[in-house]
Amino acid sequence: MTREEADREISAAIREHADYHRAPGSLASEIRAALPLESEAPQRPRWHFWLVQGAAMAGVALVTWAATMGYLRPGDDERRAGEILASHVGATLGKRLYEVASSDQHTVKPWLSSRLAYSPPVADLSAQGFELLGARIDHIDGRQVAVLAYKRHQHVIDAYVWPSRDRAAELELKRDGFNLARFASGGMEFWLVSDLNRNELGDFTRLLAHSNATP
Amino acid sequence: MDAAYNLARWLTRNDQDARDVVQEAALRAYRFLDGLRGEAKPWFLTLVRNSCMTWLKANRPSELIGMDSDAAELQRIEHETPETLAIDALDRRLLNEALAALPAGFREALILREMEDFAYKDIARITGVPIGTVMSRLARGRRLLAASLQAISRASSPKVRE
Repeated sequence: MTREEADREISAAIREHADYHRAPGSLASEIRAALPLESEAPQRPRWHFWLVQGAAMAGVALVTWAATMGYLRPGDDERRAGEILASHVGATLGKRLYEVASSDQHTVKPWLSSRLAYSPPVADLSAQGFELLGARIDHIDGRQVAVLAYKRHQHVIDAYVWPSRDRAAELELKRDGFNLARFASGGMEFWLVSDLNRNELGDFTRLLAHSNATP
Repeated sequence: MDAAYNLARWLTRNDQDARDVVQEAALRAYRFLDGLRGEAKPWFLTLVRNSCMTWLKANRPSELIGMDSDAAELQRIEHETPETLAIDALDRRLLNEALAALPAGFREALILREMEDFAYKDIARITGVPIGTVMSRLARGRRLLAASLQAISRASSPKVRE
């Protein structure tokens, strides 16, 4: 028996006799459940379908998805969203949500102003169901920024605020189960991040923008 | 999906870890879709493979050692006259065990080649080694597997009579 014959034989043995482990049926649904972007955006194509359809469909569906979701490509916004999300998650996990704990805007605002080169707006929205917990200072994009921590039911909302000359376009993102929103108002750029649902975070966005526009 | 799970299952050698690894790879695929160049299947398997390697490094570091170190053993195997393998007599379990016992580098090359029918260049891309290395790993992997099957069948046949 030659080397080549032996090789062919062993390769046939693997092909025909070794176990091929098919993915368990539950795996696709587990993955779908773990993926952050989900069906709450019905206007988008159901891109995640490729997971179910198997590897053969993967190419086509991925490309379609890549094209439709092209606007999410990492750029400045994407990078900043990543930084903010990391900062928020870190603060939530480390329980260092705020360095000054106060629901009083007249305590929080001077605390921030004395530590930053700018004075961020601090809105009291407790009447609307968003309780101010306090504030901290975090590093985003290489500079120190004000972070206001609010609470809605059991959900913490972090509001990152810094002065910006450009009027940043409104933006809504969903990352790893967190909702992020960005808007500009009164010369300030705001980034909100929370595990609160999108609708309520949207309400909060409008309230903040409104209170900042009419001091 | 099957290809991803099969590769992960063979590299981690158990169901739950294979699921975790594929799931992690899917999340990475979702996050780094920008890295998608060329065909999606090899690309996704690259992520699965890298997740497996990270998992092995963390959980089974010993498997990654000595992937190319038993050169003497390989030399010996390559110069031996191959014996005819009684594949039919070998049960599935022994073949699976022998395949699972191969060093990870040989195992992944064989899985991708024999079970998924990938071209050498795709295997090279997935495993992150040059094509020449893929070809030599395949050849050596087959020979190592043949040698260990022969050893198993030689060792097991007298035992049957005991």
